[in-house]
Amino acid sequence: MARFRLTVDTGGTFSDFVYVNEDTREISVAKVPSTPDDPSRAILAGVELLIARGVAPTDISYVCHGTTVGTNALLEGKGVRAGLLVTKGFRGVYEVAEQSRPHGPTIFDIHYTRPEMLVPPSRTGEVEERVSFEGEILTPLNEDALRETVRELVADGVQSIAVCFLFSFLAPAHERRAREIIAEEAPGVEVSLSSEIVPLIREYYRLSTTVINTYLQPILARYIANLDARLKSAGVTTPQKYIMQSNGGMSTFAETAKKAVATVLSGPAGGITASVHAARASGFPNLITFDMGGTSCDVALIKDGEPTIANRGKVEGRDIALPMIDINTVSAGGGTLARVDRFGELIVGPQSAGAQPGPACYGRGGKRPTITDCNLALGYLSPDNFLGGQMKLDTAAAIAAIETEIARPLGMDVSRAAEGVTRIINVKMQEAIKAISTMRGHDLRDFMLLAFGGAGPLHACHMAAELGMKGVLVPPHPGVYSAMGLVMSDVKHDYIRSRLTPIARATEAEVNAAFAELEKAARADLAREDFDDSAIAIEYALDMRYAGQGYEMTIPCPAPLAPGALKTLRAAFDEEHRKSFGHTAPDEAVEIVSWRLRGVGRVPPVETPVYAPTGAPLSAALRETRRARFNGADIDCPVYQRERLDVGVRFAGPALIDQLDCTTVLPPGFDARVDAGKNIIITQGAA
Amino acid sequence: MEAPARAIDAVELEIIKASLDGIVQEMQNSLFRTGYSTIVRESQDASCALLDARGEVVAQHVVLPLHIGSFPACCAAVLRTYDDIAEGDAFLINHPYEGGSPHAPDMCVITPAFHAGALVGFCASIAHKGDIGGPVPGSCSGQAKETFNEGLHLPAVRYQRGFQRMVEIERIIAANSRTPELVLGDIRGQLGCARLGEQRLRELLDKVGAAVALASFEHLMALAERRMRAAIAEWRDGRYEAERFVDDDGVRLNQPVRIHVVVEKKGDQITFDFSGSDDQAVGPANIRPPLAKAAVAYCLIALVDPHIFINSGLMRAFEIVTREGSIMNPRFPAPVNTYNPTVHATVEAVFAALVDIVSSKARADSCGSRSIIIGGRGGRAGQGYVQYEILGGGAGARSGKDGASGTSVNQSNAKIAPIEIIESEFPTRVLRFELIPDSGGAGATRGGLGIRREYLNLDDARFSIRSTKHVIAPNGAAGGGKGRTGDIIVNPGRADEKRLPTRYADYPLRKGDGFRLDTPGGGGLGDPLTRDPAAVAADVREGYVSRAAAERDYGVVLTGAGRAVAVDETKTRDLRAARRPTL
Repeated sequence: MARFRLTVDTGGTFSDFVYVNEDTREISVAKVPSTPDDPSRAILAGVELLIARGVAPTDISYVCHGTTVGTNALLEGKGVRAGLLVTKGFRGVYEVAEQSRPHGPTIFDIHYTRPEMLVPPSRTGEVEERVSFEGEILTPLNEDALRETVRELVADGVQSIAVCFLFSFLAPAHERRAREIIAEEAPGVEVSLSSEIVPLIREYYRLSTTVINTYLQPILARYIANLDARLKSAGVTTPQKYIMQSNGGMSTFAETAKKAVATVLSGPAGGITASVHAARASGFPNLITFDMGGTSCDVALIKDGEPTIANRGKVEGRDIALPMIDINTVSAGGGTLARVDRFGELIVGPQSAGAQPGPACYGRGGKRPTITDCNLALGYLSPDNFLGGQMKLDTAAAIAAIETEIARPLGMDVSRAAEGVTRIINVKMQEAIKAISTMRGHDLRDFMLLAFGGAGPLHACHMAAELGMKGVLVPPHPGVYSAMGLVMSDVKHDYIRSRLTPIARATEAEVNAAFAELEKAARADLAREDFDDSAIAIEYALDMRYAGQGYEMTIPCPAPLAPGALKTLRAAFDEEHRKSFGHTAPDEAVEIVSWRLRGVGRVPPVETPVYAPTGAPLSAALRETRRARFNGADIDCPVYQRERLDVGVRFAGPALIDQLDCTTVLPPGFDARVDAGKNIIITQGAA
Repeated sequence: MEAPARAIDAVELEIIKASLDGIVQEMQNSLFRTGYSTIVRESQDASCALLDARGEVVAQHVVLPLHIGSFPACCAAVLRTYDDIAEGDAFLINHPYEGGSPHAPDMCVITPAFHAGALVGFCASIAHKGDIGGPVPGSCSGQAKETFNEGLHLPAVRYQRGFQRMVEIERIIAANSRTPELVLGDIRGQLGCARLGEQRLRELLDKVGAAVALASFEHLMALAERRMRAAIAEWRDGRYEAERFVDDDGVRLNQPVRIHVVVEKKGDQITFDFSGSDDQAVGPANIRPPLAKAAVAYCLIALVDPHIFINSGLMRAFEIVTREGSIMNPRFPAPVNTYNPTVHATVEAVFAALVDIVSSKARADSCGSRSIIIGGRGGRAGQGYVQYEILGGGAGARSGKDGASGTSVNQSNAKIAPIEIIESEFPTRVLRFELIPDSGGAGATRGGLGIRREYLNLDDARFSIRSTKHVIAPNGAAGGGKGRTGDIIVNPGRADEKRLPTRYADYPLRKGDGFRLDTPGGGGLGDPLTRDPAAVAADVREGYVSRAAAERDYGVVLTGAGRAVAVDETKTRDLRAARRPTL
């Protein structure tokens, strides 16, 4: 009996499923309406869909899930009632945060307010203890006072407690002892220690990350337990059950339940992971991922098959100091609204019509034109084939909205107005791509634009051309692309330890000893997750800086270091600094700030299927002809059905390619072909 | 609806606007990425702009709002000085009087942009330099009595011709700085950013056509002016007046400096007259008119629309008047290096004058900003060191919202230094970092709380502070109470306890000495007796307001202790009734 991998990415509207037959490599997909009150219900429905096809639940060998449970709880302020313990005298660390406001309009905004604290001062306890910058104990832990503080927090109803003491990344003993005391005084209260969640120098970022974890962790733990029980009751017995993390790697259900903060970008990470795989399989190692959905557009950069990873980021204004895929988000989606203001300016975004009332063409009462209305008015979308025909679009309503709100006030016709609005939104998305590419020294001529999400392939060609990119790649299932990524990942755990060390005074043996300690933890964790040594890979890196600088650069390194290797690393740091910042200071002292280690548990890969041509002619995929607008002219275009396009076919624009979950627009002057992986590869013709 | 200028297509205009946004963003990223000094890269004390051929700002990346006044003034100096501007030129200027730098460390690099042989605009950046000479490291002497004590001053000078650097200029700068490599590295980074801007501007002009682009630039400025005027026209006409004070000018201690403004508003015209401000200061608290204008622009943007597209058009929507010889328009060579407290006072005077007519954006005064500098020879690596920190405090209460606590305010926006970094790098131990209870002014909405940091010196060092509002408290508005003043005490609680003045340079600290810095809280807004008693109880529960202050300032009587604090409704009603003046 064939064995199956099942992955699910939970979105706001739909839960997307991908099923892979491990023997035939055959891939099928499904969309099930999401159940936001308990997302595991929709997941079970998707499992049952597979079982209904005659697959035994015991033959489901692998489950991976991209979840927004943690993200949503954070965004909606629905985490648990949590407490916080800090070093006595230092409750200002959390309240003052970075002290600064975000750049841009915020500086002028009298009404700007920081995100609300997840733990208020009344549930923040001060603990008598202090450790020096060298890790020595200056003030011993006052255990009796700590017990009293814990009892007060418990009396106040906390379900979980974060502990973040100064310099605990060097000397975690006080935090560990605090956990023991909490366990004695308050059994059942969950504890997050900053020295375990992210033992990194800079107290505020470590504290913020730990507090977010403590705020989300009981919720995620409950959700995972519930999901696990549902899967078991459905007869799914595989131990290979994973959750996608923000770093683009998976973690087991059990490990995820302890480190909720690592999942806040779980959703988008799936799409990037699929893109990484596409980069390797399609022969295009350099990609810009372009995920345009209903309200926002996410872009990320993949160079030489690897995504850019940031060591720290903000999610909804909150600081998280854990490695995460570097994703740039702009408010631009199908639901983005366009209007003309009283000064005659055509304003596109950032407001969105959302799901309710949605675009005018959805016929749910929306009267204001959106990007989707413009795409429909331009003939790019089919009124009868949206979501495979499940939803009829009202072209007349779209046109009326554009006419009333934009065309008439500006004295132009509807087509020109619609084309104008899409051009404006395209420029905004192009600038978002430039921000992660050309502005960081990358040359877009070396990159393909990988388009997915419901609206990505509609806009991709125009954008790639404007940006001077190499071409566009539309994967076979752009509408369930995040779920695709969940089929192809490895387990990845990040370990980090800060210890400010001048490189001139460090020895290779010391550096190796610190790595060895982290490696021991990584191997133990991965062994517990059933990886044997042959499936484990360890990656090492050092965060280094010029002494006194406020930021570090992560330099990968081999381990153990051979004698003299620190000299080489120092040179590698200078060189990396030159590449990133244009200059070096070879005479300045360099410090190691942190050790980073990534433990990778390799999951046997599923190769993406390779198809042979069936010999079907292009005409076999032709569904109809639709009139669409390109550069001010209405042109009759062939409309192809994506699923019927044979491997190896080539055709020139103008053309439209419809499929269940999206439409690809091929403007005049562009050539498309279908590769052996059923990707559509688009390049600009030599015209 | 007002008639849009038909000549400019609405779609093209938006595309050009989004492209301009992208260009200045890219210039800014390039500068931050390649800037040599940590001031540029960490503090991001730098801005970039595109200007038109007349030297007006077409687009600016908002990092430091004050630079909007500086760019046109710097560019005007270049246009005034040179009539042979050619492609491949670059100019330098940092002179507060010749150009528009807030103070001499703010170096401006300007390059002309040509398209099809015609001058179409300028690309410029201003970035703060770590040191450009003068009597003290950092070039900002609190005791300076003329600009000649404030480092090297360059009027508009040609820095490149035909893309070749003038080596002589670099040698002069290098010879005058304590950190020549950092300064030249940053200037070259600025040059690279300007050249990048030129290239992208040319690409834009190629794409949409030079005539369309240049007309659009003008249109965007006109649009910004129209937006401003339309909002101003909705305000009540009248004459409004307000004053604010800076503690002292750094030289004449304990002698407050007055900033005064009269706002005349009629229809869509508005004028800010600062003539009633004090005569120019002996110490470095003076500001030049471009900075005064930028401070007003900061307020108007905040009051009208924080998301407005920022260009010189905004500046045409209002007038300012300054009196020559006053603190807002000093005569050369009056010193200007510590301009920030004066700008904060200017911003707050303007907000105060307009508080009643734009009541949805009403706000009380805030904490200003301050820096402390500890220097010594006992750095962790045995070398000399300079520990530099910038601290905010409480923001003023706002209409409908309490002021933020422990925050940067107004035009300042520095990050706070992490304790774990400070202690790892410098012979200092931080003993305390918390918000100060009761430091926020009472009001219907409460002022934000100030910060308390206590330090212990582990080695001999010299200590300097440039602060504000240690003497004159942040005002409340519309009946709100004042915020608590700031304070700086050496060896608090010891026999040798000593309070230092608001601005002080080079105080010798010995090993084992400590100091406590309290930063001011924000003012309150509205009558505290109208504050929701439940909000007062919550403040007490969270430790923001003491029980005594709840009763004294808010007329709220509480029952219960600790987290169980609750409002005694009856007693509160009675107390509040007794407090209200009988009619």
